[in-house]
Amino acid sequence: MTFFLQQVVDGLTTGSVYALIALGYSMVYGVLKLLNFAHGDIYMVGAFIGYFVLQAFGGATALVAPVAVVLIAMFAAAALGAGLLGVGIERFAYRPLRESPRIAPLITALGVSFFLENAVLLLFGSETRLYSTSSFIPFSTGVHVAGVNISLVRILVVVLAAVLMVGLRVLVERTRLGKAMRAVAFDREAAEMMGIQVDRTISATFFIGSALAGVAGVMAGLVFDQVFSLMGFIAGLKAFTAAVVGGIGNVPGAMLGGLLIGLAESFATGYISSTFQNLIVFGILIGVMLLRPNGLLGRATLQKV
Amino acid sequence: MNARDPRSHGRRWAAAAASATLLAFGLAACGSSSGNSGSGSQTSANAGSQTGASTGSSGGKACTAAIGIEAPITGQVAQLGGEQLHFTQFALDQYNQKNGTSFSLVQGDTQLTPAQATTVTQQFISNDKIMAIVGPAGSQEVSAIGPLASRANLAMISGSATAAALTDGGKYPTFFRVVPRDAVQAANDADYIIKTLRPKQVMIVDDQSSYSTGLAAAVEPLLKQAGIQVDHESVNQKQTDFSSVVSKITPETGVVFLPWQVATSSQQFGQNLSEQGKKAVIFATDGSYSPGQFRSPGAYVSSFAPDITAIPEDADLARQIKARYGSFGTYGPPYYASAIVAADAIDAVCRSGQTPTRANVLAQVRKTSAATSILGQPIRFDAKGDLVDAKFSIFKVGPDGRYSAVPSA
Amino acid sequence: MSTPNDAPPRIGVDEWVARSGERRDRGSGPSAAIVRALERVGWWQRLAVIAAIVALFPLLTSSDYAVRVGVNTLLLATLALGLNVVVGWTGLLDLGYVAFYGFGAYGFALLSSNQLGSSGIHLPSLLAIVIVVVAAALLGLLLGLPSRRLQGDYLAIVTLFFGQIFVETVTNVAPKVTGGPNGVVGIDPLNFFGLEVTTTRGYFYVLLIVTVVIMGALHLIDSSRTGRGWRAVREDPLAAALMTIPVNKVKLLAFSVGAAVAALAGTIFAAFQAGAYPTDFDTPFLILVYAGVILGGSGSIAGAVLGATVVSVTLELLRNPSQAATLFYGLILLTLVVRVRPWRKLGAVLAALVAFGFAVHAVIGAISASAVAGHPRSGGWVGDALGSWVVVPADPKGPGNIAFVVLILGLVALVQLKGTARTVLLVPLLYLAAFVWETRLVAEASITRQILLGAILIVMMNARPQGLLGSKRVEVL
Repeated sequence: MTFFLQQVVDGLTTGSVYALIALGYSMVYGVLKLLNFAHGDIYMVGAFIGYFVLQAFGGATALVAPVAVVLIAMFAAAALGAGLLGVGIERFAYRPLRESPRIAPLITALGVSFFLENAVLLLFGSETRLYSTSSFIPFSTGVHVAGVNISLVRILVVVLAAVLMVGLRVLVERTRLGKAMRAVAFDREAAEMMGIQVDRTISATFFIGSALAGVAGVMAGLVFDQVFSLMGFIAGLKAFTAAVVGGIGNVPGAMLGGLLIGLAESFATGYISSTFQNLIVFGILIGVMLLRPNGLLGRATLQKV
Repeated sequence: MNARDPRSHGRRWAAAAASATLLAFGLAACGSSSGNSGSGSQTSANAGSQTGASTGSSGGKACTAAIGIEAPITGQVAQLGGEQLHFTQFALDQYNQKNGTSFSLVQGDTQLTPAQATTVTQQFISNDKIMAIVGPAGSQEVSAIGPLASRANLAMISGSATAAALTDGGKYPTFFRVVPRDAVQAANDADYIIKTLRPKQVMIVDDQSSYSTGLAAAVEPLLKQAGIQVDHESVNQKQTDFSSVVSKITPETGVVFLPWQVATSSQQFGQNLSEQGKKAVIFATDGSYSPGQFRSPGAYVSSFAPDITAIPEDADLARQIKARYGSFGTYGPPYYASAIVAADAIDAVCRSGQTPTRANVLAQVRKTSAATSILGQPIRFDAKGDLVDAKFSIFKVGPDGRYSAVPSA
Repeated sequence: MSTPNDAPPRIGVDEWVARSGERRDRGSGPSAAIVRALERVGWWQRLAVIAAIVALFPLLTSSDYAVRVGVNTLLLATLALGLNVVVGWTGLLDLGYVAFYGFGAYGFALLSSNQLGSSGIHLPSLLAIVIVVVAAALLGLLLGLPSRRLQGDYLAIVTLFFGQIFVETVTNVAPKVTGGPNGVVGIDPLNFFGLEVTTTRGYFYVLLIVTVVIMGALHLIDSSRTGRGWRAVREDPLAAALMTIPVNKVKLLAFSVGAAVAALAGTIFAAFQAGAYPTDFDTPFLILVYAGVILGGSGSIAGAVLGATVVSVTLELLRNPSQAATLFYGLILLTLVVRVRPWRKLGAVLAALVAFGFAVHAVIGAISASAVAGHPRSGGWVGDALGSWVVVPADPKGPGNIAFVVLILGLVALVQLKGTARTVLLVPLLYLAAFVWETRLVAEASITRQILLGAILIVMMNARPQGLLGSKRVEVL
């Protein structure tokens, strides 16, 4: 039982990070029908911003401010920085291609991804940076019951992710901006005719989606410690997977997809085989896709003829 | 995007003109790449330092040549390649300064893929200034470029390809390495685990790379022979969280053997261990030998080279490199040694009054006999290109993250 | 959509109408006569002439490196041709494509080396290739099966899994068979009836023939019922089905043809490299193939080949810092010439740029000698020419990094500005670009190569969204 719970905890933490990245993926896809392959790299930039804020506060071992303040500063800076980066990318690389075939922005997205990864490599070097979280949030502060060890960082990550997901849900369902986003996603031209400012809505979507990725980057840094220029590549692929498996363009679906992948990974390792972890996870996901061709929560779209 | 938009007309021509120019450049450049190798196609390794002699203009008969480096400078393992590049650059800078030579460095980014390594090697071969290759980094790359390099008489001196098969049977006569082969390390590590740590069970976790699976496969049978129960797990190198593997560690598991390439991943494994309150001891290999990055207290690390920050003669050098390029781990120092081997060989040819050619540089590399090196041991190669008398030491990581050598079993 | 310059909504415009403007444009351009003359030459004649010119290439160079780049280019072109069938014609986003390339390589490797059994299997090359290609075509059918149920990006993700599964399988599942991360080594060279292909030039010609034959075959298929069926399915599967096109069969056939072409390229690659290694068939390579197809113009045979050539040759040019510098400065100049009009303005910008550079150099030199103590890192005449114009500090890393970030922000600002402000901002930005290049980018040649690849992809797609030789078409969403 403890073994099982340990796997659940592990799966939930990784899953939360995937889910947060997947949310942004899914939102952008919703409004633009664009697979934003640069999204994983925005997550990476977020993780770097968090790292530098941490250094600005004196570094992991010599913090000059209370831990809570530092954490809030890290998350806020990463969200803001990543959000602005996302808006800039959209303006610069995607907006001119809005009316072209869908496949064209796919390549610009890959170009942006190459650019970001290597620009960071150029600026900050190839060495892996460490958050060294356990120096300022010791493992002993977590929950240790009956052999199950849950560190405070993991609790923090899961709770924060949950709060953000609920917040996003409220934003999309209840606010004017959310309504505009949904309208643009449904039919951009019609939305514009109804007086919705399409450009502004798309920028807002990019900002929110990228900010979530930035937050996810800091979370990853806190839990997994390592920050390096190519960390976004795999995370981006996983998030893309999560978004599609959940039903792309569907916000709760992205969360579900992320958690599913996180849990599948930890259970595959824990119960079957670490060597074949990826094979097992892909097998599960292919099964899911074949049973639910539009993703877990996606609906079959009616074709307009 | 309207077809009638006058701008699209200009754009179309812009794109067409751009691509035409690009192709013209391409054909011209590729066609003449053997000819233009002298015309500044190398970035001088010392161009950045004020003190370095400017390329080709130092007085007298300065020994001039280029050395190519093959390393994963970008891509998934850029943290390895970046370090290898920096140490090589630094080694040549210093060497030039000290010996009045003018050796430049040509970068060859392979992203650790054999396909790119072969193209890079061919580029190096067609550049007649290049006298030796430092690298390549991966064992699979060595087997891909080995035939090419042997045909061109081009010495390749790797600081990280450890697969035993590479020097078996003399398949690649121009291949040398300043690091010992897997088998040496495996025997040494298994011996220490069996005789000193005496665990009932060992978990071996490989990271699915060539280096890691080779070492894991060599250690596993040795442990089993000694009656130790072995649980062999494996994680993807791109993975960043190891909690699920860690949770499989039982109280009987005394040692976790981590032959990993990325030191920070071993560090994360250590974090996951203490997070879950597991008592197993990590025994990592030279891939994790990185005092700045892997500092899990109580862990063991085996390495063929001592901590260069702890060697008095190297301390100054380590400080300078750190100041210029940031913190480093285990992959740099052997590349420094490789670069020095290459530079020494070319310099020796020059000093004997000959013009360096690939053949005489190769012969000289084979004769390498350095009494000391950054790795704290003499460097000589046997007939197969392996390091002679490769010494292995085992270090224990102290509570403060410091490494101290332990007496061998 | 908000600015008046943007295209009006074009609902209901079909491909022919969408391209009518483009066709009309052609009649008025400066080189319209050449274009029209070229168009009068038949497709086959053009193919023959271009193939003949390309065939001369190895004879014109003594460099094995150049020929090897040619081989790599032809391999990428062949792959792009196959992917074009799946993505360009049939409109199926296949992210597992490169696995077939790997399948071909590993298939050939196992059938032509000592890997299996005590003395290995050494089939005649032709037989091995046929077996592997047929097997790949069948595997393509298998991968295509989900396309009956899945659409668009849902299909993309399943094919992506397939690609990942391939790499995982050859790395982890049976290391004794596939060699694990060390791959299969010692593969026989291609051998046609006793004639061994062992030289780089030999492989160049083998691949040239293969590429030309595939181009010809695809051209025939393109204009056949199958080809029209593929494009019909791409445009509108529902309408296609109503027109009695067997949609599922047509999709499966596309997957199968793509897979066979990729596997064929893989077999030759394995023989050429004399080894097959898992890392060669991972996602980063897939990205390059996609870039080739889309850059060249999705849906165009010649476009796929041209796009692959541009991608492959650019990447090789960027390996060499001095060629990269020529490319960098050349592209900037070219962009200026094309985009800055009228000529007066262009002249003014360039003059201002030169003056600005000398002024900055003088001012900064007067303030601090060490700030101009460095030498431009470009070698050769470029470096010498820029010596007293561009500021290079003694320790260029920090300032270069800051300038790099400022440059990117400046470029973003440049796009937002209009009119005179834009022209004025252009001057310092161009200078900054030279500064960043000379201080940072040349020194980090390998990283710069990747950065520039990214930038080129962004700029080229923005300049010509339909690809170099692609045709405009309107998507029915």
